[in-house]
Amino acid sequence: MSGGGGEPAPDPDLRAAEYVLGTLDASERAEMDRAIAVDPGTASRVRAWERRLAPLLDAIPPASPAPRVRAALLRSLPGAVPAEPDQLAALRRQVRRWRIVSAGAGLLAAGLALFVGVGLRPGQEGGRYLAVVQGGGTLPALIVRVDTRTGTAQVRPVGAETPEGRALELWYVGAGGPKSIGLVEAASSRVALPAGASPDGAIAVSVEPPGGSPTGQPTGPVIYSGKLIPE
Amino acid sequence: MLGLADDDKLRGLLAEVGRGDAAALARFYDLTSPKLFGVILRIQRDRGLAEDVLQDAYLRVWQAAGSYDPAAGRPLPWLCAIARNRAIDSLRRRGATEVQRPAEDDSEDWVARLMDPHDDATAFMDRDALSTCLNRLEPMHRDCVVLAYCEGYSREELAQRFDRPVNTIKTWLHRALAALKSCLETVS
Repeated sequence: MSGGGGEPAPDPDLRAAEYVLGTLDASERAEMDRAIAVDPGTASRVRAWERRLAPLLDAIPPASPAPRVRAALLRSLPGAVPAEPDQLAALRRQVRRWRIVSAGAGLLAAGLALFVGVGLRPGQEGGRYLAVVQGGGTLPALIVRVDTRTGTAQVRPVGAETPEGRALELWYVGAGGPKSIGLVEAASSRVALPAGASPDGAIAVSVEPPGGSPTGQPTGPVIYSGKLIPE
Repeated sequence: MLGLADDDKLRGLLAEVGRGDAAALARFYDLTSPKLFGVILRIQRDRGLAEDVLQDAYLRVWQAAGSYDPAAGRPLPWLCAIARNRAIDSLRRRGATEVQRPAEDDSEDWVARLMDPHDDATAFMDRDALSTCLNRLEPMHRDCVVLAYCEGYSREELAQRFDRPVNTIKTWLHRALAALKSCLETVS
């Protein structure tokens, strides 16, 4: 016990060790979480301690979780919609989650979907909007230019990667749910927007069987997304 | 338990999960969840809460798989670190006083089991070094480290268990961790 006075600043390495050990209190842990996100030195000290202590976990016996956990997990994946009758509700839930995720995007090293968070001014006279559609990578997947006056969109692939044997399908997600606007082609293409498409929507890309979704709704995981912003 | 031979499989699955493949996450879950749930359940004893932590940990995997760097370490320790963090957060948020612990907790046991070369031999070198170094610590200091890491004991709970002031526990932990680090640097 050190006698009175202010405690000396904690040694950063011991702090990292205690973080990994789990003996920091909630506020100290939150402080460390922030430091890990912004400071590579803290992150690497924490990783080093994780490596040092991890062999202790070998001794812990496995345990079986209830099967419902697996089912609930797969249902809850943002971006992956399993065969479920109500695809539309699922995608709406997903869009809500994206919004939540994007609010905390600074803390996420790689979010599934990063929105381009620029305020929308609907009814802008130009009628031209842009969506930078991206996933977790550094390059955007697609750039989509929407012209609400002509009801068309120009789709320019940039870094979109199509999984082998699958197709990427483009969706316009508005208040009425997702509407297909065609498949992502290798080259730039012009597609027609669904009737009544308004600028307060988003563009999403899902993985589908070759030829596109058989149901008219997204059936595979949504891997890219982006919000329309006025040009 | 999962050995080194499975590492490549897990890395491959993580790459697919990073591309948004839900089926790959399901396979990853099937391979790793018993181990992960074991780890979580040692820390979060409430089964329902432990299952929430488990689901939460795999959601995090779903989001972070794209940023998993195979060079940064083996997949299973990476996964366990995510799960332990979630489990400890779930304890600390609820406060230190509510945790019910069974009487048979015995940290001696963990160190003994560490020595048991029951699975892949590749991790054995690390494990050997860690158990050697743990055994060189003051027994009570070592017990604090093991109980905190494996069972999620807080400083307050350790203080109660060893009937010492919290500040003494802090000092023990700091001494033990510093000694452990320098021992691991020389032994391994």
